[in-house]
Amino acid sequence: MIWIEILSKHRDVAGRFRVDAAEIHIGRGYDNHVILDDPFVAARHVRIFRDGEGRLVAEDLGSANGLYLDRSKTRKPQLVLDGSKPIRIGQTLLRVRDAAHAVEPERLVGSERSILPVVAAVALGAVLLALNGLLVWFAQTSEPHLSDYLVPMLTLIGVVLAWVGVWALLARLFSGRSHFLRHLLIAEAGLVAFWFYSEFAQIASFALTWTTVFTYGYVVAWIVLATACFLHLREVGRTHLVAKGIVVAVLLVVAIAVQSLQRSEAFANSGRPNVSHVLMPPALRLVPLREQQAFFDDLGRMKAKLDADRAELKPASAER
Amino acid sequence: MTVLPASAGAQALPGAETVYASAPPRLLQIRTLLADAGRQTSTGSGFLVSADGLAITNYHVVSDAALEPKTYRLEYTGADGTQGAVTLLAVDLPNDLALVRVDKQNAPFFTFDKAALDGSLPKGERLYSLGNPLDLGFTIIEGTYNGLVEHSYNDHIHFTGALNPGMSGGPAVNAQGQVVGINVATRRGGQLISFLVPARFAAALLATDRVARSTAGDLRKDVIAQLASWRGALYKSLSDEGFRDRVFGSYQAPETRAGWFECWASTNAGASPKPRASINSTSCKAEAGVYVASDLNTGTVEVNHSYAKSIDLNQFQFATVLTQLAQPRLSLGGSFRKWYTPQHCHEDFVGLAPAADHPPLRVMWCAQGYREFDGLYDVVLVAVTQDHADEALVSRLNLQAIAYDDALRLGKSFLERLQVAR
Repeated sequence: MIWIEILSKHRDVAGRFRVDAAEIHIGRGYDNHVILDDPFVAARHVRIFRDGEGRLVAEDLGSANGLYLDRSKTRKPQLVLDGSKPIRIGQTLLRVRDAAHAVEPERLVGSERSILPVVAAVALGAVLLALNGLLVWFAQTSEPHLSDYLVPMLTLIGVVLAWVGVWALLARLFSGRSHFLRHLLIAEAGLVAFWFYSEFAQIASFALTWTTVFTYGYVVAWIVLATACFLHLREVGRTHLVAKGIVVAVLLVVAIAVQSLQRSEAFANSGRPNVSHVLMPPALRLVPLREQQAFFDDLGRMKAKLDADRAELKPASAER
Repeated sequence: MTVLPASAGAQALPGAETVYASAPPRLLQIRTLLADAGRQTSTGSGFLVSADGLAITNYHVVSDAALEPKTYRLEYTGADGTQGAVTLLAVDLPNDLALVRVDKQNAPFFTFDKAALDGSLPKGERLYSLGNPLDLGFTIIEGTYNGLVEHSYNDHIHFTGALNPGMSGGPAVNAQGQVVGINVATRRGGQLISFLVPARFAAALLATDRVARSTAGDLRKDVIAQLASWRGALYKSLSDEGFRDRVFGSYQAPETRAGWFECWASTNAGASPKPRASINSTSCKAEAGVYVASDLNTGTVEVNHSYAKSIDLNQFQFATVLTQLAQPRLSLGGSFRKWYTPQHCHEDFVGLAPAADHPPLRVMWCAQGYREFDGLYDVVLVAVTQDHADEALVSRLNLQAIAYDDALRLGKSFLERLQVAR
């Protein structure tokens, strides 16, 4: 007894046929044991039989498109089958197994559901909401309103759920399983990473006077988003990871380049650098006080930059 | 009241007719035209001051022609109907005056009032302002001399009368038809509050030109040089006048002694909903702006102190309040692309010696240059005290059109005077 399985592109079993004959014929014609509706398959394409040693062998019956092992590009007249790698004829993937094929042991119900991801998702979610609430609280300088906390919190929850929902749906479509929890973890981790960065940038720009950390925040935002998208794609299907990585990386580079261009053009138009001057409680200061003279020497050096800008911009306006 | 005889009012009425009767051959409308199209783009007024065709007007009436002589040219129309070309000879940027020549020979002209040149004109003297408002036709307007404007770096006569656009550059004369001042501006939002440039500046411009009549060089360069030297003098005067200390909560901060600053205080104490940090501000602003071109006004000088104290905010919330108060914004008096270079900022924690007197500061400094005015910059300095988590003084020094070294010097003495109150 032999089972012929037709596999989908994602290697799910799309059809399964039990054949008891000693020699099995597969093709598009109606005189076969297994009929394939693939226009790239010959009327009589392949036959499957046992060789002298009892192994299952597939043999090309002289088709135009030939017989291949899985993704291999080399055409084979004959193939010995091991029951794990599928064969490819036309655009169809087939797996041939005999009744003695060993299957994996039975899994225990509930063993898949580890408590850890649930705990992690809840914990990350709590961190996100707490951070969100904390930032709203710190920015609260007038009469506090409950809606100031609720609206951003609910917006955050809604956006995250919608984002995760879309990825879960894609995963369900392409790989059959939604992996909602994993997508949720990825989205939450991405948000936490970005928020930690932006808070770090705020504090560093004050405490360490690293004002430029802030300027390139958008690069970090894009990198975090791209990483999250790659991880989501990996959950949707573990195939073509290199191709997915390249696509995400290209999109990332394009996004950063376009935004950098837009920023530099906006700067050329307005002359205003995109810097915010953040103040924090004085206790957070980490650098020593600069002496007055040294500080004014720094300011004096700015003159050279301003004059260089003037020298660069002047010819254009003098040619009126 | 008893000083004025009853007949003075009676004399004033025929006065306006008499004053205007002799004006037409000496009174001009000065028009700026697009050189190619020959159509007017703006109009102002002017008046003859010599028999050989020298006339005075405002710099802002002729600024387009002074800065872009290839694009614009000037023409005049006399109140007597004569017309002709106008040649620009010299300008006085700080006082907004220009000396021009019109092709009119042996015409009658206006003379200056001796009392006005001496500055001994009595308040309340009746003046007549002449000009062509809004291109509607020549008019005469009665008004009153009210002395010099207070809190102004440049002298301006406060004239109570209705000046309108287009009258700029026209003369304001006394009952004898002698020039007391030149129409220059009005205060929007006021009632009949108008300003005149004192006649002595016009007389001085006329006199300098008699010395160097034929050396009319590149007016654009002249405008730039006048701007730089006038700003230099203004900031020198600001340093020379010095600062006095004023107490703000637990700090003391410098306030200028210069009389040409106008100071206002504000508080949020009465705000509703009840503020969670009290903010008391003092802002001193100089009336020292200057019209440089039709699309560039600059020259503001401002000293601003805000003392903030938390009522029930935590340190982070209070820091948010300070962040909003302390943004070092540089304002633009014209389009960035035409007039300014990109802004650069630098900030750091600064400690001044001795530490017992000076609170540690977070200082932000932003500067931009002028594309065409070598050596002039706009600078804003903001200092925030860093010795308490629940109270702070946010001090701001805003210096437009200043030499960089002057800005550094003023900034330094400003910071040195930010101290802990004793």
